[in-house]
Amino acid sequence: MDKSHIRNFSIIAHIDHGKSTLADRILEETHAVSEREAKAQLLDSMDIERERGITIKLNTASLKYICNDEEYLLNLIDTPGHVDFSYEVSRSLASCEGALLVVDAAQGIEAQTLANLYLALDNNLTIIPVINKIDLPNADIEKVKKELIDLIGFDEDEIILTSAKTGVGIKELLNEVVRKIPCPKGDNDSPLQALIFDSIFDSYRGVVIAARIFNGSLKVGDTIKMMETGASYEVVDLYIKNPWEVKKSSLSSGEVGYISASIKSISDVKVGDTITLLKNPAKDPLPGYKPMKSMVFCGLYPVESSKFEDLRDALSKLQLNDASLVFEPETSTALGFGFRCGFLGLLHMDIIKERITREFNIEIITTAPSVVYEALLTNGETFMVDAPNKMPDKTVLKEIKEPYIRTSIFTPSEFIGPIMELCQNKRGIYIGMDYIDPTRVNIHYELPLSEIVYDFFDKLKSYTKGYASFDYELIGYKPSDLVKMDILLNGEVIDALSVIVHKDFAYNRGRNVVQSLRKSIPRQLFEIPIQASLGNHVIARETVKALRKDVLAKCYGGDVTRKRKLLEKQKEGKKRMKQVGSVELPQEAFMSVLSMDENE
Amino acid sequence: MNSIHSCYIHIPFCSSICSYCDFCKLLYNDKWVNEYLNSLEKEINFRYKNELIQTLYIGGGTPSCLSINQLEKLFNIIKRIDLSSDYEFTIEVNVNDITEEKLILFKKNKVNRISVGIETVNNKFMPFLNRFCNKNDVLRKIELIRKYFDNFNIDLMYAFPNQTIDEVLSDLSFVVNLRPKHISIYSLIIEEHTRIFIDKVTPIDEDLESRMYYKIVEYLKFYGFNHYEISNFALNGYESKHNMVYWNNEKYYGFGLGASGYIDKCRYTNTKNISKYNECKYDYLSEEIDFKLDMEYEMILGLRKINGVSKKEFFNKFLSSIEDNFDIINLVKNKMLIDDGEYIYIPEDKLYISNSILVNFIGGSNSE
Repeated sequence: MDKSHIRNFSIIAHIDHGKSTLADRILEETHAVSEREAKAQLLDSMDIERERGITIKLNTASLKYICNDEEYLLNLIDTPGHVDFSYEVSRSLASCEGALLVVDAAQGIEAQTLANLYLALDNNLTIIPVINKIDLPNADIEKVKKELIDLIGFDEDEIILTSAKTGVGIKELLNEVVRKIPCPKGDNDSPLQALIFDSIFDSYRGVVIAARIFNGSLKVGDTIKMMETGASYEVVDLYIKNPWEVKKSSLSSGEVGYISASIKSISDVKVGDTITLLKNPAKDPLPGYKPMKSMVFCGLYPVESSKFEDLRDALSKLQLNDASLVFEPETSTALGFGFRCGFLGLLHMDIIKERITREFNIEIITTAPSVVYEALLTNGETFMVDAPNKMPDKTVLKEIKEPYIRTSIFTPSEFIGPIMELCQNKRGIYIGMDYIDPTRVNIHYELPLSEIVYDFFDKLKSYTKGYASFDYELIGYKPSDLVKMDILLNGEVIDALSVIVHKDFAYNRGRNVVQSLRKSIPRQLFEIPIQASLGNHVIARETVKALRKDVLAKCYGGDVTRKRKLLEKQKEGKKRMKQVGSVELPQEAFMSVLSMDENE
Repeated sequence: MNSIHSCYIHIPFCSSICSYCDFCKLLYNDKWVNEYLNSLEKEINFRYKNELIQTLYIGGGTPSCLSINQLEKLFNIIKRIDLSSDYEFTIEVNVNDITEEKLILFKKNKVNRISVGIETVNNKFMPFLNRFCNKNDVLRKIELIRKYFDNFNIDLMYAFPNQTIDEVLSDLSFVVNLRPKHISIYSLIIEEHTRIFIDKVTPIDEDLESRMYYKIVEYLKFYGFNHYEISNFALNGYESKHNMVYWNNEKYYGFGLGASGYIDKCRYTNTKNISKYNECKYDYLSEEIDFKLDMEYEMILGLRKINGVSKKEFFNKFLSSIEDNFDIINLVKNKMLIDDGEYIYIPEDKLYISNSILVNFIGGSNSE
């Protein structure tokens, strides 16, 4: 198709502002799917996405749309909404010329509305502001309009009003996409440059690439070359999704599509790499993406040690379409062989854990998440500490720094007090507060990243009855007085339970951690002393008493099958625990080292 | 032993429902009983293959809540079951139901063992259990039983919320003074679908409960009772033969609503739905017992006995040894099991955590 009739765009929004529903309505409006097929949120294809109501993976749909009697090809690239996945958002934005900035008519601008907007502006995209959910009884269109005008600087007449639920405004919105978003630039006659923005593993086709063609064109039978990895393959299939697969004989500049080339090796395909042709290669690759740094690390261990290779396999497969997941083998005295994995954030970690259990059927234990510390050694070297046990010895340590973030917390003003208290308890430094309108503020704090990796989101939600939204940006490393706290069970240090804490908070943390461990470790056949220590100095102690009762007193009228079933259930429960020395630890125990409150 | 020589018959009716009871039970309803007995008769005729029966047990529910006529009808049905010369025939009774007329009827119909449900004689806990009796009544009724039956059991419970060890021992001493031949004593279990579960009753502290248990064991041993199974005590020679059938992993018929049996290579449980049962649709669940499963049952049931599992008998039955089939070396090493050369058993101090030991015998189940 002629480039002037192609529009590549994304939808960006704060979580729950109706992004996926709007995408579905656009598919319907362009007759890509019938109403019957428009199963809620078509583009969210993973079960976890549907269950949690969030989009994790990118998805694209190529749609035909008639405007002013002319046919246009609209490539819609869906994006995740959660703060953890801003990397994925920037990936999809790099393949677009425009973005719809969707704001909920009842909620107004939230933390991630702005975060995503800035990402889009960084990519020089044309923005179309959309106020969605105008059908809601509590919609306040005028107020949200004012926010868009005052806070971001849009003109009133460029704001589109829609209801993805009823379909109001969708046609107008699509016309605006055609009118306002520029068509892709690029040259069909130049050597091929295509940006890999996603990849999927298909058990029949191998690795399938999602790519945006920037220059040149590509047809079935061409031999492609990945500019960074150097791998070359013959193209077997080209297709677009509308959202069903439609085969294409070629893709040319400006277009977005899927490339299948019997690619067996997962490592040959790197998201962000540029594809060119083996015969007439481009001189330079496209800028690609800044590789995303993992923010949160934790150990992943199979409950059954024999599943180590299966776990490696699972992680490799997940990494294929999740470039932000990194892992390397790690050995723990307590847990055996496993992997140190890096994630974008806690939600990302949760989702990977869940997918490993669900899709690959491997029971795993995860150690408490930690951030990456920067250690300056006395010999002048800098050492990155991504696991508590890599903390250098005091004698060689000159200084230790930890990553800090700057928050944007959007909240109704009545919750300012509780939020400040929460941030203060998390070692926060107050920076300032912007009033969005008389009843809503944006609070800025500087917080150590390590303080938000665990329960900050949950706390924020409960402190503000769910009204606050949260986003953050990394602002770099700051020196901190940090120490490694060890946990001993039965007198033995359990390396997988060590945690890095601020010295001033160590005693409190130690006390909370051993208490929380006492609650999460079930009573066992013998008494288990739990200790927290700094170096050789024990700072807190609790005891899990020996199990005293585990018996079926009565056997029901000869119903011994039932007794057996109970024992089977008990055995299943045991299987989910990890044998660490002589102690059996449930998953919660590994998380309890992060517990902060006594009342937890 | 492959032939069947035991038989359990369930009478699900009760004149009131105890708060903790998780058995298959129904409030007594005159209309249902006759239909039920008719269906029971059909079930017995259908399943029973005229084996010589050594232990017969009528349990409930509360079999004693039936009227004299209904009881007569029940015994008429049972008549067709052949009893061996050394048979044990038990019927469960509620102490309040006992009348001389009923006892005479039992006697006439070959019953030779009575199991009396008392549970507690402490007024403080009666409303909680929704069971009521008074001590003088109990004394009178037990004297009446003794007039006709030498062999009787008393069921007792402990571990009620807020109960003290002294209160347990006071119940126990009252019961011991009734001079039963056998005492079954069970801790309160808060089972799903019971009143106390719905009321979210908190169980007592497990350390206290464990102390209660070992006190009970000590007390009853002092009074000459033989502790022969986790929750059962008997004067010498009065161990319940019927119960031993279960713990010895032997076959038995189960007749009646919700009853369980073990015949051929199958453990089954009847329907718990009275309408279905009365329409003679008995089946509910069944579990096929293969060789491996049979061995597992042999261990998890056998280890409930204080004497444990005889190594010789195990070998004779399965033609291979316990050690060859189960990894017991570590359990023995950690003193979770004792191997005295003849028997494998759970040491007394570990009886109250026996499940933690028994799970080691659960293996390749169907759910894996």
